[in-house]
Amino acid sequence: MTATIIFILAGTLAATVPLLLAAMGELVAEKSGMLNLGVEGMMAVGAAAGFVTVAVTGSHALGLIVGGVAALLLSGVFATLSIVFLANQVAAGLAIGILGLGVSAGIGKNYEGTTVTPMPKLSFGALGDVPVIGPALFSHDIMVYLAIAAAFAVWFVLQRTKLGLIIRAVGESPQSAHSLGYPVALIRTACVLFGGAMAGIGGAYLSIAYTPLWADGMVAGRGWIVVALVVFGTWIVPRVTLGAYLFGAISLLELSIQGLGLNVPSQLLSASPYIVTIIVLVVISRNPVLIQLNSPMSLGQTYRPNG
Amino acid sequence: MKLIRKTIKHLAAATIATAMIAGAASAADKLKIGFVYPSPVGDVGWAYQLDEGRKKLEAMFGDQIETVVVENVPEGPDAARIMNQMASTGAGMIMIGSFGYMNDGLKLASQKPDINFIHASGYKTAANFGNFQTRNYESAYVAGMAAGYASESNTLGVVAAYAIPEVVGIINTFTLGAQKTNPDITVKVVWLNSWFNPSKAQESAKSLIAQSADVIFSLYQDTPSVVSVAEEEGVYVVNTSSDMKKYAPTKLLASMTIDWGPHFVTQVKAALDGTFEGTAYWGGMADDAVGLASLSDDLSAEQKADIQSVMDEIAAGSFHPMTGPIIAQDGSEKIAAGESIDDGAMRGIDWLVAGVETKLPN
Repeated sequence: MTATIIFILAGTLAATVPLLLAAMGELVAEKSGMLNLGVEGMMAVGAAAGFVTVAVTGSHALGLIVGGVAALLLSGVFATLSIVFLANQVAAGLAIGILGLGVSAGIGKNYEGTTVTPMPKLSFGALGDVPVIGPALFSHDIMVYLAIAAAFAVWFVLQRTKLGLIIRAVGESPQSAHSLGYPVALIRTACVLFGGAMAGIGGAYLSIAYTPLWADGMVAGRGWIVVALVVFGTWIVPRVTLGAYLFGAISLLELSIQGLGLNVPSQLLSASPYIVTIIVLVVISRNPVLIQLNSPMSLGQTYRPNG
Repeated sequence: MKLIRKTIKHLAAATIATAMIAGAASAADKLKIGFVYPSPVGDVGWAYQLDEGRKKLEAMFGDQIETVVVENVPEGPDAARIMNQMASTGAGMIMIGSFGYMNDGLKLASQKPDINFIHASGYKTAANFGNFQTRNYESAYVAGMAAGYASESNTLGVVAAYAIPEVVGIINTFTLGAQKTNPDITVKVVWLNSWFNPSKAQESAKSLIAQSADVIFSLYQDTPSVVSVAEEEGVYVVNTSSDMKKYAPTKLLASMTIDWGPHFVTQVKAALDGTFEGTAYWGGMADDAVGLASLSDDLSAEQKADIQSVMDEIAAGSFHPMTGPIIAQDGSEKIAAGESIDDGAMRGIDWLVAGVETKLPN
C-alpha cells in the first residue's frame, strides 16, 4: 500500500511536468488573444528534436533547449500565418499541429523504438531517506521542480507585473492596447513563441526523462489535454496547475485501481482522468462573472491593425 | 485529430509508395512482392518482425524475387490505395500486415485473381488470399514458467492493450505456465485501453511494481517502454514479438519471439511454383514460428532444461498449454481433466483462468 501511495505521489509530480509546462505556455499565448491549437504538434516536435539531441550528444539540458527551440520555430510558423498574414487562428493552429506531427515523425525516423538514459535525478541527501516523503517528493529530476517554478513565474508575471498587464490588455482588447501605443503584433508573437518553447520543452521532457524513448505518436493526445486544461481552468494559473496535477494523479490512480482487481470496467477507469478533471474544474469555475473576467475577450480573433 | 494525422501519414506513404513502385516496375520477370506495414519498421516490434520475414525471403530466393515495402500505412482507404498501386505496377504477391487491411485486401484479391495475398492476423480466406497468425499462447506458457521460477513475491504483472481473445488467451497460458512452476502465483493485469501510448505503458508497469509484482509481462507493447522501465526498477520482465535483451540487459527474463520466415518462404515458393492456395496458417512451436529468446542466465540449468522440455513437448504436439483441469476466475471448471481446448474455442476465448486477479472489462 505504501508503495502504491509513493507511486501515485511521485508519479503525479513527474507525469504532470509535460502538461504543466505546455499549459503555462498555451495560457500565456491565449491570454494575449492567440488560440494556438497546435500544441500536440509542437510537443511532438519538441519530443523528437529533444530525443535526437540526447541520443547524439548525451546532454539532457541541450535536449530540452533544442526541443524548446524546435517547437518555438514551429510556433513561429503559426505566428506568421495568423499575425502577419491574418489567417484564421483555429485553422492555422490545426495546420501547424498536423505539420508538427509529420515533422516529428521525420526527425525521429531513424530513432524509432530506441531509448536513451533518463534525465538524472537530483540528490537531496538525508531528505531523500525520509519514509514516504523522501521517495515521493525528493526523488526527481530538476524539471519536476522547475515546472512548479515556471507555473509560479507565469502567475507572477501575468498578475503582478506591468508586462503581464500589457499581455492581458492585448488579449482583452487589441484595439485599445494598440491605441495606447503598445505593439500588439509583437506582443502576440512573443506570447505565441513563448507558448511554442514551453510546449517543446514539455514534449522533450516526455521523450528524454519521463518515458526516455522515441516512438512516433508518443505524445498521444497530451497536447489536446493541455488545450482543454487551459480552457476548463478558465485561464487562471492556479486552477490550470491544479487541473494538470489532478489529471496526472487520477491517471495514475486509475492504473493502481485496475491492479487491485476491483469489479469496475477498465474502460470507465481509463476515462476517469478526463471526467474527474473536467467535473472538478467546471465546478470550481462555475462563477460566470469570474469566467468573463478571466477569459481573454479577443481570444481567437484575428487582429487587423488598420481595420 | 487522429484522422488528420492519418491523412498526413497516408500522403507521405502514398508518395513513397509511388516512387518505390515506379522504381520496382522497371525490373522484369521476377516475382514482385509488396509488403504493407501498419507502423514504422523501427528496431523492434510488430512491423520489425514482419520485415525480418521479408529479409529471410530475400536471403532465400535472391534475385528470383523483388520486394517493395511501404510502412506506416493506416488501415482504411489509404491501405486500399497502396495495395491497388502495388497491384497495378506488377506485384505478383502482396503481404498485408495489419488486421484492418483484411476487407480491402480481400476485395482486391477477388478483382485480381493472379495476385496472391497473405494477410497477417485476419480470419478470412479465398483461393488467392491466405491469412497467417502465430500461436503466441504457446510461447506465453513457457515464458510464464520462467516468470513463476523467478518470482519471489508470487505476484506477476501484465501490461496489456485491449482484452481481445488473443490477448486473453496469452494471459491464460502465461498464468498457467507460471502456476506450473510456482502454484502460489497470482497475476495482476492493467488494461491500457489504447493500442499505443508508451508513457501510459510505463506508468502501468510502475503501478504493478508498486503492488509488489516482481515479474512484468509486456504484452504486445510495440516499444521497449515497459522493458526499459523494468530494468530501471530492477524487476524481471518478459515481452512479446521481438528480442528486447538490449533494453533490459540484466532483467530480461525471456522474450517471446515470432518468426514469420518459415511461413513466408513456403508461401513464396508456392507462388513461384504456381501452387499457391489461400490457407489459414496458425503457426506454433511445431512450425518454428514462435519461441523464446534470451532466456535469462538467472534461471538455473534445471529450470532452463524444464522449460526446454515443455517446449519440446509443445512442438511435438504431446502437450497443449490449455490442458485441463482448468478452473476459470469465477471458480467454474472450464476444461475437464485430460482434455484440452480446441482451436476454435482458443480463437474466441473470453474468460480468464483462476489466479488472474483482474477482471475482464465487460
